[in-house]
Amino acid sequence: MSVSITIDNAVKRFGKDTIINGLSLDIRPGEFFTLLGPSGCGKTTLLRMIIGFNTIEGGVFKIGEQIINDIPTNKRNIGMVFQNYAVFPHMNVFDNVAFGLKNRKMPKREIEKKVDNILKVVKIDHLKDRMPAKLSGGQQQRVALARAIVIEPQVLLMDEPLSNLDAKLRVEMRNAIKNIQKEIGITTVYVTHDQEEALAVSDRIAVMNGGVIQQIDVPSRIYQRPANRFVSHFIGLSNFLQVTIRQEADGRHIRFEGCDYDVLLEPLREEAKDGEKALCAVRPEEFVIHTDGTKGIPATIRSAVFLGTATHYFLSTAEGHEIEAIQDSEAWEILPEGREVTLSVKASKINLFDENGERSFIVREEER
Amino acid sequence: MRYAGEKKFNLWTALTLILLAGFLVFVIYPIAMLILRSLYADGVVDLSYFGKFFSRKYYWSTLVNSFQVTIVSTVIATLIAVPMAYVLRGVKIKGAGFLNILIVMSYLSPPFIGAYAWIQLLGRNGLFTNIVNRLFHVRFMGLYGFGGIVLVFSLQSFPLIYMYVSGALKNLDNSLNEAAEMLGCNAVQRVTKIIFPLVMPSLLAGVLMVFMRVFSDFGTPMTIGEGYKTFPSMLYTQFMGEVSTNEGFAASLCVIVILIALMLFFVQKALGAHFSYSMTALKPMEAMEVKGGRKVGAYVFTYFVTGVAALPQITVIVTSFMKTISGSLFTGEFTLENYYNILAKNNTAAITNTYLFGLIAIVIVVVAGILISYLSVRKRSVLTGILDTLTMFPYIVPGSVLGIAFLYAFNGAPFFLGGTALIMIVALSIRRMPYTIRSSTAIIGQISPSIEEAAISLGASQWKTFLTVTVPMMLPGVLAGAIMSWITLISELSSSVILYTSRTMTLTVAIYSEVIRSNFGNAAAYSTILTVTSILSLLLFFKFSGGRDISV
Repeated sequence: MSVSITIDNAVKRFGKDTIINGLSLDIRPGEFFTLLGPSGCGKTTLLRMIIGFNTIEGGVFKIGEQIINDIPTNKRNIGMVFQNYAVFPHMNVFDNVAFGLKNRKMPKREIEKKVDNILKVVKIDHLKDRMPAKLSGGQQQRVALARAIVIEPQVLLMDEPLSNLDAKLRVEMRNAIKNIQKEIGITTVYVTHDQEEALAVSDRIAVMNGGVIQQIDVPSRIYQRPANRFVSHFIGLSNFLQVTIRQEADGRHIRFEGCDYDVLLEPLREEAKDGEKALCAVRPEEFVIHTDGTKGIPATIRSAVFLGTATHYFLSTAEGHEIEAIQDSEAWEILPEGREVTLSVKASKINLFDENGERSFIVREEER
Repeated sequence: MRYAGEKKFNLWTALTLILLAGFLVFVIYPIAMLILRSLYADGVVDLSYFGKFFSRKYYWSTLVNSFQVTIVSTVIATLIAVPMAYVLRGVKIKGAGFLNILIVMSYLSPPFIGAYAWIQLLGRNGLFTNIVNRLFHVRFMGLYGFGGIVLVFSLQSFPLIYMYVSGALKNLDNSLNEAAEMLGCNAVQRVTKIIFPLVMPSLLAGVLMVFMRVFSDFGTPMTIGEGYKTFPSMLYTQFMGEVSTNEGFAASLCVIVILIALMLFFVQKALGAHFSYSMTALKPMEAMEVKGGRKVGAYVFTYFVTGVAALPQITVIVTSFMKTISGSLFTGEFTLENYYNILAKNNTAAITNTYLFGLIAIVIVVVAGILISYLSVRKRSVLTGILDTLTMFPYIVPGSVLGIAFLYAFNGAPFFLGGTALIMIVALSIRRMPYTIRSSTAIIGQISPSIEEAAISLGASQWKTFLTVTVPMMLPGVLAGAIMSWITLISELSSSVILYTSRTMTLTVAIYSEVIRSNFGNAAAYSTILTVTSILSLLLFFKFSGGRDISV
């Protein structure tokens, strides 16, 4: 049975430095949960607290109903896949995978059965007798995965498991990991700094920065409705533009600074008052480029990159702000450098934050 | 590998041939002469010398003795070294760096100095012997023979195994430990199932190095062995002809030593090929804070072992400032007489020779090492392959055997090199060559060929590239290695003691002959000069290499 992981008010200190100060988190049974953030944000530290390689200076860690704070790692029954695989170089594939089972004093026949079975699941059963030095990175990663799940742990932890693989293998392995996780239904905590990877594999993502969780949500929401400027900037690409909120008869509008362009943006939170300054986040695909003088932000094309399905434009506004915009290729001839255009925004998609970028002004869909 | 437009016979080929000729003359020719001599008795080829050796117990029992002391010492050294390395890597111990230097120091001094220092402490009239006898009213006669030899060898050899194991532990990635822990291993199981198997290859390499060193050392059994004769000590006395000089017989003994060394060499090769894991630690094991009894245990163990290992060096330095009365030191009277004796009364050639020969040999070794490693890595061909193999020969020839072979080969016509400084320097260089070449080859292997190709594509000639790009890149590593080679060279005894004359005497030879004549005061003063030089060189090494690990 899958179990939940509950972290309540976790505190981590290294000497005098407090890395994590009062972090709480609920991970649901069977969930593929990702801790995403830039390096040094505390995601690996938190993962190592769950498995017990880092001490816990405060708070309660629970797996299911059991408090694990004082249980040594070798009794926690948690599987982990390491960034550098940590496949034992002096054992062949079979012995690596059987290692945890042997420690559990399981009968030999049963060990063989289980190992053979799991090697088939991770698709390396033909490599059973190979030594690790003769395996590719992807194969070693499969050994590490098999070794971690064959002991039937309550929880599976993965610490940047794909970062040592090349780009193509990374995509292949992340699909494999996702499929295997769904197949055995184990609660999984996955650590990565790669946003695309996180979006692709996770049921839910916690975006972390500076030891603090910025947002926990399903991947699509993280992308479409980031909770603050950090998330919006870290996940995907965003252009940030200064705007002013203005109350009109039909609702609140935002007016883009330095030009005569505004759009209706509702529903917004109450704090978004008339005259308030705010920060508008527009992803490149949320711009529309006009050459016919339609109302918008005036800008000049600086360069264009044709990418097949889309064309990527780099523009600058009259105030000298740099803007990136993406247009479907079919709609346009490629616009030449120096061409004056206007940019309108897709109001249903853009995001609005307070002036400091700390809080979203958009009322979330489920609250409407 | 040849670049476009390069002639088939070029400067590199010429260089290869010159080096090859050097090795043929100074390595192959003497060994060949030695083998020939061992086979000719009274002008005909037969095996009578070997027959003589194996049929008389007086001779073959020395071989048995040698194996006994070697095996016992190696086992004890291993039993000290492995826990020592593990504790110093795994437990936070104050002064660990200092302990490390002391351990390395105790390895770098010639073993027979340890032997004579222990005689001062545990011999018939030794400091500890007298204390024990007075306290318990017993008549302990001192530690000599088998026990004495084993004590000296064990303490002198464990540092080498320690360095190997310690280096391997440093390369062990901690995530392997963590993975084992996650899979249910406790601390003891992690050591037996993960750490021990993974340091095994390095441990074996260290053990075999020690085995070969101990097996071929004759200074220690000559000093502390009393009646207990080992094979090398018998070889030395046979050769030096106290009884009767039989050149053919001595040569056959040399051949036996070479054969045994060769066997060990192949054992090491085979084992090395069987157990080799490439490991590079992203995150090495961290020294942990321990508490209570374990902390006390760790401190007592490491400090005690290091203290005992360093004791001979300390004894030597202390006694060098003491008055000698009838062969006994520790008289408690401070004096500079010993230094006056060696610096003013005796001629100081021993000291200046040591520095001079050592420096010249180091230059030869470093230049030849860089060239040979470059040739065998970057200019691979049949010729450089042969050169590479030849350079490994001295590795299996013990120093005393090399000395004897040199005497046979170069004393008379057409070389007339007997008693010259040149023969001493060449012997020193040849002895050290394989180690330097091996480390240079490792260093050059880490330099990407594309760096050299970049220089060539920018218009530099091959020679200019070699001199301005390759050599400067190799230099920091090579020079660090050279300092270690220098320390080993100045403490070389086995070949020098056979080749020296009064004009070409070196420090170690001087110490040895003073010890044999029981002039312990002078010996202590000479040894102190040697020790201080080594310590200063070692400190230079650490400064120079920025805390790099020592590889010997």
